[in-house]
Amino acid sequence: MADPPPPVRVAAWGCITPFGDARSTHAALLGGESALEAVPVLGREGGDPVPLALLGGRTLDETAPPAWLSSVKRLAATVPAGDWGAPGRPVFVTGSNFGVGGLYALRRTGNAAFAEWGAPPTCTERLRLEFGWGPDVSILSHACVSAHLGLLQATRAVHAGIADEALVLSFDFLSPFVSGGFHALKILNSEFPAPYRERAAGSIGLGDGAGFAVLSRGRGDWSLSGQALYNEMHHFTSNRADGSGFAACLEGASAAAGGRRVWFKGHGTGTLEAGRMEVAAASAAFPAAPIVGWKGGLGHTLGSCGLVELAVAIESLRHGRAPGTIGGAGPPMAPAVALESFETAPYGGVVCASNAFGGAHAAFLLSDA
Amino acid sequence: MPDPLTARLKQLIVETLRLEDVAPADIPDSEPLVGGGLSLDSIDALELVVRLEKEFGIKIASSEEARHALGSVAALTTYIRERGDPSRLPS
Amino acid sequence: MLERHIQFLVTDDPGEETAAATRERLKGHFPPGATRRMTTLGLLLGSTLSRAEPGEDDGLVYATGYAESCALEGFLDSFPTPSPTLFQTSIHPSAVQQLMIGRQRPVRELMPLSGGPLLAFHALRASLLSPSPRSILCGGEEKGTWLLAHGLASDRTFAFAAALTRERRPGAAGRIGILRDEGKGSLGLPAFFDLLHARRPFDGMIAPGWRLRLEWL
Repeated sequence: MADPPPPVRVAAWGCITPFGDARSTHAALLGGESALEAVPVLGREGGDPVPLALLGGRTLDETAPPAWLSSVKRLAATVPAGDWGAPGRPVFVTGSNFGVGGLYALRRTGNAAFAEWGAPPTCTERLRLEFGWGPDVSILSHACVSAHLGLLQATRAVHAGIADEALVLSFDFLSPFVSGGFHALKILNSEFPAPYRERAAGSIGLGDGAGFAVLSRGRGDWSLSGQALYNEMHHFTSNRADGSGFAACLEGASAAAGGRRVWFKGHGTGTLEAGRMEVAAASAAFPAAPIVGWKGGLGHTLGSCGLVELAVAIESLRHGRAPGTIGGAGPPMAPAVALESFETAPYGGVVCASNAFGGAHAAFLLSDA
Repeated sequence: MPDPLTARLKQLIVETLRLEDVAPADIPDSEPLVGGGLSLDSIDALELVVRLEKEFGIKIASSEEARHALGSVAALTTYIRERGDPSRLPS
Repeated sequence: MLERHIQFLVTDDPGEETAAATRERLKGHFPPGATRRMTTLGLLLGSTLSRAEPGEDDGLVYATGYAESCALEGFLDSFPTPSPTLFQTSIHPSAVQQLMIGRQRPVRELMPLSGGPLLAFHALRASLLSPSPRSILCGGEEKGTWLLAHGLASDRTFAFAAALTRERRPGAAGRIGILRDEGKGSLGLPAFFDLLHARRPFDGMIAPGWRLRLEWL
């Protein structure tokens, strides 16, 4: 089994959510706020109301150019300048849906103006030109662990000496394509999510989100270590009942923690079985770690969740306080689930984990450099 | 004489899930649909739900409810009969 | 230079074969009944990848420009009652998952890449940077229909799987590596596939600043 890569530093970070930038998002989550609102699942075409967190001023329906573009530009403007995409400065763009809302609009309206943002290659190329990046822009897409894959690829490029620094950018914006699909899977319904809480039926919320991180070998106050992946390949939408997939992925972060007390930022979408297994695995790997999940406040930002929540985790460490688990009511799945915010000083870092369809898992330890 | 609703449901299962080598009459009434002899999984169940909602005017809200409704052909027949639009049930 | 040995390679170029004919040709690679939800890309990718016998400790890199175009088209056409099967199947990296889930074969590391003019370079780079002793580089495309008309799908169907190892073992087919170069050219995924399929040697630019060396034994 391959060892995780050596630690890498986070030299810059940021995110954008319906709450605003990373600092504003952290503050809102500390206050227990939720950006989720009931929105018709097919936008202007109606359908059941489902909990979605859309960027301010945006509707679920696609526009040409996309309404989310201004938000991605605003986020990209906060990325430190650095000749990105040139030799030695690779960019890793990650996401699950890219401009797929454009494909939905294209099919419904026949308007070819929606096509140019519709597929990952065309969407990313448009952004590359928009931001003046060089040609070394790769696209990684693996549903909700996409951002973690970008971080891992960037880390390897830095440590192999083929990148001085690397930029990872992740974005995912909702559309009827996405909400309709999750609604068809019966996990996005009218109930708002209650991550890590026991209830009769599970439900998720979805959210708009984008984030970035600049990784460097020697620059930055924060360190990513113990990066690991695991793919159960058991079923598209469920996990092995013994939770072994969750446990396997946490081995790297556990070794990196080296016995230090840590807190755990989980995936926690609001589904029941996966939530229980995740809590059990986290508790076993990191006894006494408070477990939090923020998707009850942000919605699940899908392909960007790894980077959006990394940014919030960094803000938590910077400001010494982590938001508790947000959303719903009902008994927590385990005593370790932290429902209230708490001080981060007693802990040596935070393990950040994400999971995806196909039983995909990803995790790393974030700590002071 | 087979119950027309049960027969229709078995036909829908074969058609919707593209079970090429299965005849509707071969599907047992009381065996679990998911995880049983047909090797169907939860995604098949949800695909069936979409078709059933369209045909019978039912509404299944969650994956847990879907699991309960599709426990077996017999369970599904009962569920549809209790909650479906009577005008859409086969006579 | 980053390089590895090509320990095993399988390619499939169906040409103008119809999707139905491809299904008929390949269904024997999979258990009975398993192919009813598989896409053309899943069948092709699955049949090539399965022959590389991916193991849990292998690194798997999967490259496709447009991924599951037909499932995407089908899902979009299923609205306003969206199909959960087609939604699930349209999500990258479905083609790899169709095989691996069907066989219940976990794999520690799966890196699915998508799109872009430098996709072949990025996928090869990811493979060469993998710490796994054996990295399987696989990929392919399936021809689209209405998405193709908008330039959003591939106009070709193909698949490949190459097992790349650090150590050369008996039966090795060749060697592949990338090194820095001042040149500016590039090689798209279809052209990269053609090199593999024809077992053609290559010494030229794969991406601006990077040269590809491909040698066959």
